[in-house]
Amino acid sequence: MESKTTDFKKLVNRRKVVSKICTIMCYISMVFVLLSLAIPFFLVIISMFKSRSDVFPTKFNNLFELIFSYKDGFIVENFNRLAYLEYYSLGINFFKSLGMTLLVSATATILSLFVNSLAGYAFARLNFPGKKIIWIIVISSMFIPGITILLTSISVVSSLGLINTFMGLVLPGVASAYNIFFFRQFYMGFPKDYDESARVDGCNSFSIFFRIYLPSSSTPMVIMGAGTFIGFFNSYLWPTLIIDQDHKELTQIMTTINKLFNESATLGYGAVLAAAFIALIPAIIVFIIVQRYIKEGIALTGVK
Amino acid sequence: MEKAQKRRFSLLPKKKTTEEKVSGLICILPAFVLLVIFVFVPLVMSIFRSFYFYESGPVEPYFVGFANYAVIFKDEVFRKAILNDLIMTVTIVGLEVILSYIFANILVKIKNKFGVFVRTIIYLPYLLSGIVIGVIFSLLTTYDGGVINGIIQLCNGEKIGFQFDKFWAYVSIIVPTIWVGFGYTTLVFYSGLINIPKDHLEAASVDGASFLRTTFSIILPSLKNYIVLVVVTLVTSNLQMFEIPMMMTNGLPSNSTMTPVLYLIHCRANGNVSQSEIIAASILIMLVIGAINAVVFTLSNRKEKK
Repeated sequence: MESKTTDFKKLVNRRKVVSKICTIMCYISMVFVLLSLAIPFFLVIISMFKSRSDVFPTKFNNLFELIFSYKDGFIVENFNRLAYLEYYSLGINFFKSLGMTLLVSATATILSLFVNSLAGYAFARLNFPGKKIIWIIVISSMFIPGITILLTSISVVSSLGLINTFMGLVLPGVASAYNIFFFRQFYMGFPKDYDESARVDGCNSFSIFFRIYLPSSSTPMVIMGAGTFIGFFNSYLWPTLIIDQDHKELTQIMTTINKLFNESATLGYGAVLAAAFIALIPAIIVFIIVQRYIKEGIALTGVK
Repeated sequence: MEKAQKRRFSLLPKKKTTEEKVSGLICILPAFVLLVIFVFVPLVMSIFRSFYFYESGPVEPYFVGFANYAVIFKDEVFRKAILNDLIMTVTIVGLEVILSYIFANILVKIKNKFGVFVRTIIYLPYLLSGIVIGVIFSLLTTYDGGVINGIIQLCNGEKIGFQFDKFWAYVSIIVPTIWVGFGYTTLVFYSGLINIPKDHLEAASVDGASFLRTTFSIILPSLKNYIVLVVVTLVTSNLQMFEIPMMMTNGLPSNSTMTPVLYLIHCRANGNVSQSEIIAASILIMLVIGAINAVVFTLSNRKEKK
């Protein structure tokens, strides 16, 4: 009997030790992941203040000198140079391009939230002829790779006269089956009694949407809106293909950064890093806003 | 009074249905029209044009049947690109799924504020554009003076030519791609893991199931839908990868890191391949993606029957 209790105690202790080792290894791996996320950003921030020859140092004796190679000083000129890009062979103003990209993304996001939420509501709550077929068609659009329709969409956009236009940058990405799907799922979770009592009171489908569904849609709006905004902001291929050299004011930010990257010999890689850093600020701001919103939402409803 | 009320209710359903029908159609109209104009019309046009010779310019398009497809099949670079793409995608998806599954388990275990912090932060790289990722990682991989080669030099080692050596060129594309998608994949697995009913796990530990047994008999089957979702999403997006390869290696060395989409972009820029051939190639890419996803679905359903 005694040996059995000591055996049992040994087993429990062994399990405790194993569990502690597991926990320590968990923390180590989390730190490792955090480091691998943080180090690239850290290096970018360090290097964007370096002069052309310091960004890729050739003479260094230790790790400190390799990373903190400020032989030509800590310069802010990289950022200034971005403002004067048009005077270099690149011909584009970085900050104008950034502003235009923000404008395009914001417009596209607002339009997209409106169009997709309305469609999501209709698929969730209204009955109309051909609903099932149209839904299948909408869903199937999610499975079409971008490259397959790239060249022909350029033809379509061109024949609509939207090449080199603001709307040509905005419209093609506004309707998104993924967003419609998300809104539909969300709206299907609403209790139907609200609809019915509203209809008894004489509301039509539109006013039901605007008075009941839309005001409560802040969660999917924030999430879908953030995704759409970042998607438009980050887009490279479409804006590069439909905005040509004669319309530099519409050039989107990723096209500009890619150009900078390819011609980094002229300005030094520090300027390219400065540009990339500025370009990731909007994404981080959007991310922080969404995080705060989700946390506040949880605090209000009290649901974990 | 009662009669009037009864009549009112019997009138309502009729009005409701017609009004609902019309409103419904109006509500979906903007989205549907946009999808038709910018997705379905181009799709149909692509399918048609792939069977014609089509080029912008004076020449009128004429029917060529499968000639465009034949040209692409004979194109060595395209075949190589598809092969590279498959190799890289399998590596990326395999590594990413395994690593993020392990890390999701770790996140489930560590529930304190540190865990919440990590869970938030890992999503950040997913918000970045491929162009920005390329700029960031090129800082590391530049041959002369890049951070990685600098560290290697300090250790008196041989510098790595990320654009000259086939293996390291692959690494320079695979690592950033995993770095980007890791947060998304981990969070999907995390939400899958926390949704497993606790009684299943408790029953298993009471029955004395070992770690491996619990994993394979309880956790993985519950996560099946999440795993399929992640694999399909990753496979679809990675088969079309082009921004990161473009920035890191641009197909070097000698097309060993060329991907199909990147190759088509090059072809369009160079103008040596007709537009209809590019379109036919893009349809082939769509078929490859569709085929692989079909395989993934079939495999996942077969496991269920077992």
